[in-house]
Amino acid sequence: MADLARHVVKRDHGDKISGKAKYVCDLTMPGLLTGKLLRSVKAKALLKEIKLPVLPEGYYIVDYRDVPGENYVSMVDNHDTHIFAQDRVEFIGEPILMVVGPEAKVIDDILAAITVVYQEETPIFNVKETDTIFYQFEDNKGDVAKAFSQADKVFTEEYHTGYQEQAYLETQGILAYYEGAKLVIRGSMQCPYYLVGAVTIAMGLKDNSQLKVLFDYTGGAFGGKEDYPSVLACQTAVATKKVGRPVRVVLARREDIISTSKRHPAYLTYKTALRAGKITGMDIDILYDSGAYRTLSLVVLQRGIIGAIGVYRIDNLHVRGRSGKTNTVPNGAFRGFGGPQVFFAMEMHMSHLAKELGRDPLDFKKEYMVKQGDVTSTNGIYHCPVVLPQMLEKLDNMSDYQKKYAAYKKPQSGRYRKGIGLSLVYHGCGFTGNGERDLIKAVMKLIKYEDDRVEIMAVNTDMGQGLKTTFIKLVTTILGIPQEQVIFANPDTSRVPDSGPTVASRSMMNVGKLLERACLKLKANWQKGVYQEFEERYQHPAYLIPWNLDTFSGDAYPTYSWATNAVEVQVDTLTGATQVLGAWGVYDIGYPIDEKICKGQMEGGFLQAIGYGGMEQMTAEKGVIRNASLSDYIIPTAKDVPHMEVAFVNNPYEFGPFGAKGAGELPAVGGASAYVEALENALGTRFYKTAVSMEDILLAEEVNAK
Amino acid sequence: MVNSYFPTTLAEALQLRQAQQVVPYAGGTDLMLKDRTETAFLFLSQVSELRHVREDDKYLRIGAAATFTELLENELTPAFLKAALEELAAPAIRNMGTIGGNICNGSPKADSALVCFVLDAQLRLASAGGERLVPIRDFYVDRGKTILQADELLVEVLLPKKDWSNYYYEKVGARQALAISRLSFGGLVEIKNAKLVNFAVAFGAIDRTILRMPALEKRMMGLSVTEAKEQHKAIVAAYSEQINPLSGRISARYRKKVCLNLLEDFLTVKGL
Amino acid sequence: MTQQIKFTLNGTAVVSERHPGVKLLDVLREDFADTGVKCGCREGECGACSVLLDGLVANSCMVALGAVAGRNVLTIEGFAKVLPQRYAALQKAFAAVSAVQCGFCIPGMVLSAESLLNKHPHPTAAQIRDGLSGNLCRCTGYNAIVEAVEIAAKEGNGIW
Repeated sequence: MADLARHVVKRDHGDKISGKAKYVCDLTMPGLLTGKLLRSVKAKALLKEIKLPVLPEGYYIVDYRDVPGENYVSMVDNHDTHIFAQDRVEFIGEPILMVVGPEAKVIDDILAAITVVYQEETPIFNVKETDTIFYQFEDNKGDVAKAFSQADKVFTEEYHTGYQEQAYLETQGILAYYEGAKLVIRGSMQCPYYLVGAVTIAMGLKDNSQLKVLFDYTGGAFGGKEDYPSVLACQTAVATKKVGRPVRVVLARREDIISTSKRHPAYLTYKTALRAGKITGMDIDILYDSGAYRTLSLVVLQRGIIGAIGVYRIDNLHVRGRSGKTNTVPNGAFRGFGGPQVFFAMEMHMSHLAKELGRDPLDFKKEYMVKQGDVTSTNGIYHCPVVLPQMLEKLDNMSDYQKKYAAYKKPQSGRYRKGIGLSLVYHGCGFTGNGERDLIKAVMKLIKYEDDRVEIMAVNTDMGQGLKTTFIKLVTTILGIPQEQVIFANPDTSRVPDSGPTVASRSMMNVGKLLERACLKLKANWQKGVYQEFEERYQHPAYLIPWNLDTFSGDAYPTYSWATNAVEVQVDTLTGATQVLGAWGVYDIGYPIDEKICKGQMEGGFLQAIGYGGMEQMTAEKGVIRNASLSDYIIPTAKDVPHMEVAFVNNPYEFGPFGAKGAGELPAVGGASAYVEALENALGTRFYKTAVSMEDILLAEEVNAK
Repeated sequence: MVNSYFPTTLAEALQLRQAQQVVPYAGGTDLMLKDRTETAFLFLSQVSELRHVREDDKYLRIGAAATFTELLENELTPAFLKAALEELAAPAIRNMGTIGGNICNGSPKADSALVCFVLDAQLRLASAGGERLVPIRDFYVDRGKTILQADELLVEVLLPKKDWSNYYYEKVGARQALAISRLSFGGLVEIKNAKLVNFAVAFGAIDRTILRMPALEKRMMGLSVTEAKEQHKAIVAAYSEQINPLSGRISARYRKKVCLNLLEDFLTVKGL
Repeated sequence: MTQQIKFTLNGTAVVSERHPGVKLLDVLREDFADTGVKCGCREGECGACSVLLDGLVANSCMVALGAVAGRNVLTIEGFAKVLPQRYAALQKAFAAVSAVQCGFCIPGMVLSAESLLNKHPHPTAAQIRDGLSGNLCRCTGYNAIVEAVEIAAKEGNGIW
């Protein structure tokens, strides 16, 4: 067991640190052309006319008329997203056409010379005013009406959570070309088979035998490259077919921030029925801003509804969740995928409830923390052990939370005020509901060659989270062979089967499990010098209560990973500026396969979450993202959280490889509320939103002058 | 067609500045925000007369092309100026960026320019035809606009020697590094024989240029510490009337409140 | 008559005839195939394009070609070639704590570390964080990278 947590040098370390690793922007090939998109500058309009300049030799325009198949990018359940806009645009940044040619400067001149005649319509920017609800679900548990009728106090709060931008260091990019008759799409992505699916439809292919998608080294993704690469893939595929030469599109940073998917902003109303100081029921309304198109909102919304009550047991519950259209950039996946919004609101709400009742927030929360065997928000069961009490104890030892909270709660004087906050969260591991069984149907292979080298045939991608290394570790540990004998190449869909997308914190838990089974079979049947192949397919755990989307009930997830976070701040009452004095996290991911890699994941995600709480302000103004550069969209530097400590508690999951559960998204879920609760502790005031700005802090002080 | 120029002496640089249509390039960290494939540059990094830090009896003299890193590493640089430079952007920008560039780009957010305002910097502007000494407070016309003529270069920043030790500096930005100032504040006092012999305060990033209010400062000059303390409320009120910040990403209301908070704190901390 | 900008790149004397106002980033990536110099923002805010200019870290997207005339430029590829001991110490330290995740910020981090260690061979954690403050990383949360530089400084033992 200890072997697997132990450190190994990461498989891709050498290539990346030396500068030799080639990302899509680094590739060269003969005849390579650059593509740049012309994007809508109107939030909602009919496209009346597009006046094109005369093109110099070797430059092309590619638009919807060039799409051989269907002009939409396949996503989950909808056809909303166009490859190129046809008769209308629905958000600023929507792609209208592509200019292709050898020189970027000439392309820019051509783009500047194109005139689009728009017939403007009235856009909707505020999701509360939307006239289109894309999805709506209701979750019911117990008898919420009765709880409210018998309440002696009802406490209602509304929260708003803002945008969050993935801000991966490498912007989006895709390269498409033909190798003979075969169409090749490669670049920065999380889910190669999503591109296969989308491009097959876009190009009108009978099957995908004449298509292959290659994953290139990808400079960060965090969910932002789950759906958007399919858009670029379809666009470049169409372009390369038209012009007969390789075409690459790499987004400029500003363009990337304005036009690609972000975390759904949300309005969240929490209404709690209290009786004799106890929560008897909750009625929650969540409204997610999808932006102009559905893209991934179907699943993001579900995860939000399911997680609306966080880690707590609420017996009488009603949650209405809706995702509405606005004429803004379509929102999609970002680490946590609908979870961070509701976990923020619930943690703050529980804390405020405690304060209303004159109780200590942590003591109050502990009363409602779920245990193994409890019923979930959707009438499923927490089948596996929940070790939150143990985690809280460890967190307190690391951070000294309880002592500090009590001390900082007392009236403070002087220029600087200190505060500490704490949050408890979970992340449901894997695809929501029946997705893994009914949609993904993961299959992977393990091949042993005659020379006894072993190759992992899975399409899951290493975008920095270390999957290449950890999968190889599974193999070396089970088979007892050296690292050098194991191959795990950057995925190529013409070689590897569809083991599913690299999303939803499913790769290690689900695909790793298949890999583990294949390895065990190979180990038991190893024939030296003989070619052997083992295939494994996903098996749905039998213990699960079936998920029913219509009744919104059952086990939404096979298991959960848990986190407790504490953040300590110092607030400057003269300027509203905060310094994070310390950040502590204790995580249950089952078992950390490579502790240093897992630690790196927790630290990176935790810092993103702290950013979500404070410095990562992003608003849209008249439909366009205002903070459209890295000088305007503020993410943490190395100086911003100088003291961060993370630790794990082992709580092995029977159905995960070596006990591992989902890990990738968990650390992004709880940091924001811990940060904002720290502000409340420091200032004796209340906040109802992310991100909390220096202005918000100064204003709160004014209102609450001590 | 010559694209750019690489003078090695100041005389050569001034000649070229007069004769050609060029953009002076010291560190380039502001200029290069845009793509510059059409610009004819006058590259100044090889002109040694622009990189010094030295004293004479009247001034501390800083070459306009001295980089922020060079200034941070020089023991002659006042601690007050170092306080601003330490928080400026990040090492890579500090290694290239220059005090002259920071002053000439005309931004009210310029960190070193703010300190130069408080220190009553004199700017030595030279052309092939002669030179002039301009107080920094007369150098700015508007945001991004200075009185530097098309044939002139800023060659030296002269800081009139005073006791610079009793300073106060605060930069308000969105994070601990790489932060564009949302507001900046610099103050300096000198108390000799219990009397105020120097009182200077400047506000950055709140208006179209960096602001000093000489009339208000005059009210404080020469007062005894006791008298100054009595004036505390009145002076803050007077500043309040004069400070009308612009609104942008950050509201005017926030900027004003913070300016006054910092002014109050400055006075209190300095015992006034 | 095109101008020639002569400089030393990764230990070798080179010439560029591109317009002196072109970003050094573009010259290095396009003309010299130094793709270890990454582009993250093009406005001096992320440090992915870091190079060493006369031993000091600079953002190559904010440096004009003309500004490096007569000067010494090192990219990550060159650093490994010209200062192999130092590169090896940093490389080994980064490996020991698994500090490389997506890798896009890493060449810049290594060069910023070199720029820091060159002046401060035994930096404090605070000095390391300040030295790296111009290199954005979205994956790691910075802890492992800071630890790697600490290890390199300690194990370095006279290299800096």
